[in-house]
Amino acid sequence: MGILDKKLSLRDRKKMLVGVWEDEDQLMAGAGELAHAGIHIHDVYTPYPVHGLDRIIGARRSKLARIAFFCAVTGLTLVTTMIWYMSVHDWPMNIGNKPVRFTPSWAPVMFEGTVLCTAFGMSFFFFWRNRLVHGIKNELLDIRQTDDRMVLTIETTDGMDEKAVLDMMKNHGAVELRAFHNGVQTVL
Amino acid sequence: MGHGHHIEVKQEQFVFSPKAKRFSMILMVLGLIFAGLGIANLGGHEETHTAKTEVAAHEGAQHGEGHAVAAHEEHGNVETEAFGPRMEFHPLDKPANTRIWANLMIAGYFFLMISLVALMWYAIQYIANAGWSVGIKRIPEAIMTFIPVPFVVLIVALLMGKNDIYHWAHYEHLGLKPGDAGYDAILAGKSGFLNSTMLFVFPSVLVVIWYLLMRKLRSLSAAEDNATRGDVSFFRTSVKFSAAFAVIFGFTISVIAWLLIMSVDAHWYSTIFGFYNFVTHWVTMITIMAFFVAFIKKEGYLGFVTNEHMHDLGKFMFAFTVFWAYLWLSQYLLIWYAQIPEEMAYYQIRFENYKFNFLLNFAMCFCIPFLGLLMRSAKRNRYVLGIIGSIMILGHYHDVWLMVFPGVFGSGMQFGFLELGNFLLFAGVFTYWVFTALTKRGLVAVNHPYLDESAHHDVGV
Repeated sequence: MGILDKKLSLRDRKKMLVGVWEDEDQLMAGAGELAHAGIHIHDVYTPYPVHGLDRIIGARRSKLARIAFFCAVTGLTLVTTMIWYMSVHDWPMNIGNKPVRFTPSWAPVMFEGTVLCTAFGMSFFFFWRNRLVHGIKNELLDIRQTDDRMVLTIETTDGMDEKAVLDMMKNHGAVELRAFHNGVQTVL
Repeated sequence: MGHGHHIEVKQEQFVFSPKAKRFSMILMVLGLIFAGLGIANLGGHEETHTAKTEVAAHEGAQHGEGHAVAAHEEHGNVETEAFGPRMEFHPLDKPANTRIWANLMIAGYFFLMISLVALMWYAIQYIANAGWSVGIKRIPEAIMTFIPVPFVVLIVALLMGKNDIYHWAHYEHLGLKPGDAGYDAILAGKSGFLNSTMLFVFPSVLVVIWYLLMRKLRSLSAAEDNATRGDVSFFRTSVKFSAAFAVIFGFTISVIAWLLIMSVDAHWYSTIFGFYNFVTHWVTMITIMAFFVAFIKKEGYLGFVTNEHMHDLGKFMFAFTVFWAYLWLSQYLLIWYAQIPEEMAYYQIRFENYKFNFLLNFAMCFCIPFLGLLMRSAKRNRYVLGIIGSIMILGHYHDVWLMVFPGVFGSGMQFGFLELGNFLLFAGVFTYWVFTALTKRGLVAVNHPYLDESAHHDVGV
């Protein structure tokens, strides 16, 4: 899968520490303490949005808005060119004696074309970025992360005190602790 | 309860601070000064005089006596000169103080709509079960109490200036029969709706209904504050009354816009006009609300209302700016596509004789807010919201001005000192009234079932 796997797969990363929570309040407290201790949290997978968690784990703002802008500009250019080519350049038609170059009457099509390209572009990029493209194998660390459990992952670094990190997670109510390395999970 | 952190929300009592008082006073004084300057200029007659001669020349060159066109029509000769406006202006008949009555009428209409739309916003929050807005719900609740004041101004302005503002009222006065010289079949056909009785009775009845529903919703909200926590009966009753109001308002607001504003160009009509008016005031009201929230927060109240709420208000401003532009263009394009030249009358005078205002309107209501509020950081910045919002409020007032003045006076008018002063004066009174209304009850809807949701509102990174 080329670029897709290299950038986004958990498989090619170093050893990951995985904590599984059942309660979002405890998860938030745990994530807060980990972040406070200077440990970089790779990601948290939750079945529903947990408000405020993105700030705690230091998630950066989604780049989807920039992609939306790019798609909008592309769509606008594309559609404007299309209208110009069709109804001015290639085959101008006299409809009710109206001028062919009257741009306000192009506005609805320009608007719709912009929206169409933006919507499709954003959807594709969103699914691609979230590995929801058909044919990519899902990597669920815990099958219940889409149901009622929350999974927090930390990528180990050289010199990280793994024991201390695991203790921190356990103290904040993590119900399961695991390690994930080369595609194999081991319960700790 | 929620997400790891508990947010304590306590009742707060708003005090009308000297700073707020000074602000509304400055608006009123500035308004009086500008309006005074404008009225002093009226006495000179220079502006009005120029207008008169210009229009007279214009009309004369185009189709001679204005009534001639209508006479044509009557004899079954429907062949209309391309773009020949069938509406007639009578600028020569207008006394100088018509401009004052027209201004009062615009200000009355504008602020009546702002208060009504605040009530509509309030109702929609209930109908939609909206949680995020509970923290700021006292602000539309205060704005909507303003309903009677602009209505009284509107009625006074109409009583004084009706015959000069509406040429159908002037025509009604003439009492012409079919076959008479100057008989206008279109105005006669519309006289069942456009007549003086309707002009006063219809809005009055509606304002009474709206006002009573507003009182009911406000009293439910007050009763909820004094009830026990967890009693959702007030919320449920509010939803019912909100739904009733939304249905009534949705149907009647268009009719009010047709009767009061669209009838300035009585020969012309646009089915989208009422909705266009609604959106103009809707986006302005949201901007005004954002201003009040920002001001109240700066005074140290509503600590749990954060940038997240401001961001959502900014999104509303941005979204309805685009929606306004959509209707603005649609109203024109429908007429353009339909190939009915006489329908162009409304746009012809505005684009020929008020080109600057016409384009300025589009720039102030769409171009500047669209580009200014496009970025996320702009919606979360109080200063950007303040600058863009001020342009929007003034732009939408100017929008209403542009709907009325060319139709009343023909060419040669400008948004001058009188218009600006009149707007500022009303804005000052409005601000003063809303701040006073805010002191009447606690600033937080402490027993509202969604208060905690509002306190934890978060739009994410």
